Amino acid sequence: METKKIEIPAELYEKIEKRAKETGFGNVDKYVTFVLEELLRELESEEEEEYELSEEEEEKIKERLRALGYID
Amino acid sequence: MLVIGIDGATWSVITPNLKRLQNFARLIREGRAGTIYLKHKPLSPAVWCSMFSGKSPEEHGHYDFVKNGEIVKREDIKVEFIWDILDRNGVPVKALNIPFVVPPYNFNVNFEPVAYGLPIEEHELVEEIKKITEKSLEILKEEKPEVFIVVYTALDRLSHLHWGEPILVDYYEMIDQAIGKLIKFDDEIVVVSDHGFCDYEKAPIRTLPKRTPKGEIKGDHHPEAIVITKNVECEIKDPTDVFYCIKRKFLRD
Repeated sequence: METKKIEIPAELYEKIEKRAKETGFGNVDKYVTFVLEELLRELESEEEEEYELSEEEEEKIKERLRALGYID
Repeated sequence: MLVIGIDGATWSVITPNLKRLQNFARLIREGRAGTIYLKHKPLSPAVWCSMFSGKSPEEHGHYDFVKNGEIVKREDIKVEFIWDILDRNGVPVKALNIPFVVPPYNFNVNFEPVAYGLPIEEHELVEEIKKITEKSLEILKEEKPEVFIVVYTALDRLSHLHWGEPILVDYYEMIDQAIGKLIKFDDEIVVVSDHGFCDYEKAPIRTLPKRTPKGEIKGDHHPEAIVITKNVECEIKDPTDVFYCIKRKFLRD
């Protein structure tokens, strides 16, 4: 797998390093990759979630359709 | 590729006003302009659905925003849309405000439409044009996909209530300005409407009753829709051609 370097503040690196050791990841690279992948997956699934209409919203939409003559 | 849908846009308003509609004029000059003669009833939900699914109304079975008293949702329509197919094949695609359902459908875009995608009052219509343009520009500037599809619905509402009035041309001009901003971001462009418009009394079919709670209906749908393409190979003669045009270009089949 091709890899690329990024820069992060030293203080943050130390915190991550500590956590990486505690969680058994061993090295910071693997830990950061794992955390970022998880975060991206979560964000993407949030974006994909279907927008559910509440009953109140459905009623408002029907009111507008009625006002425009689309439904009786 | 940039596909801009304009609900209800019609040549009978555009052609006599090309001096005011400079971006339409430019696109017509630089690209190819034509008319889609609808073979089926010019009902917006059915036509937009055909345009992006490649299926005829008989095949997709979707005609109205409401069926048996219930609002029809995306998942009620058993078709794959062009964005589903492109996405599955790894082609980056986004769709904004596609009005085959209410609220209009979005794909890979977070967007809250003005007034549930059914703007009625003038300030809502202006706000809708503004908000859709802003969101489109944000997408085109920051995360431009291979295919971006966006639809404006304001002209349809305006044309029903204000057919024949000067205010209608003001709104066409607003849409023209919006188009001008978007087309700077792509060379391959399709501008298309789902049906045309004409005087209510002359309309071959009535999609709305003469009197509604919002006032008298002055215009109704006409079966001649507009299409303008620029740097797009295929010819669009039917709404379903939009689907096949995009599919052929990006999936080569």
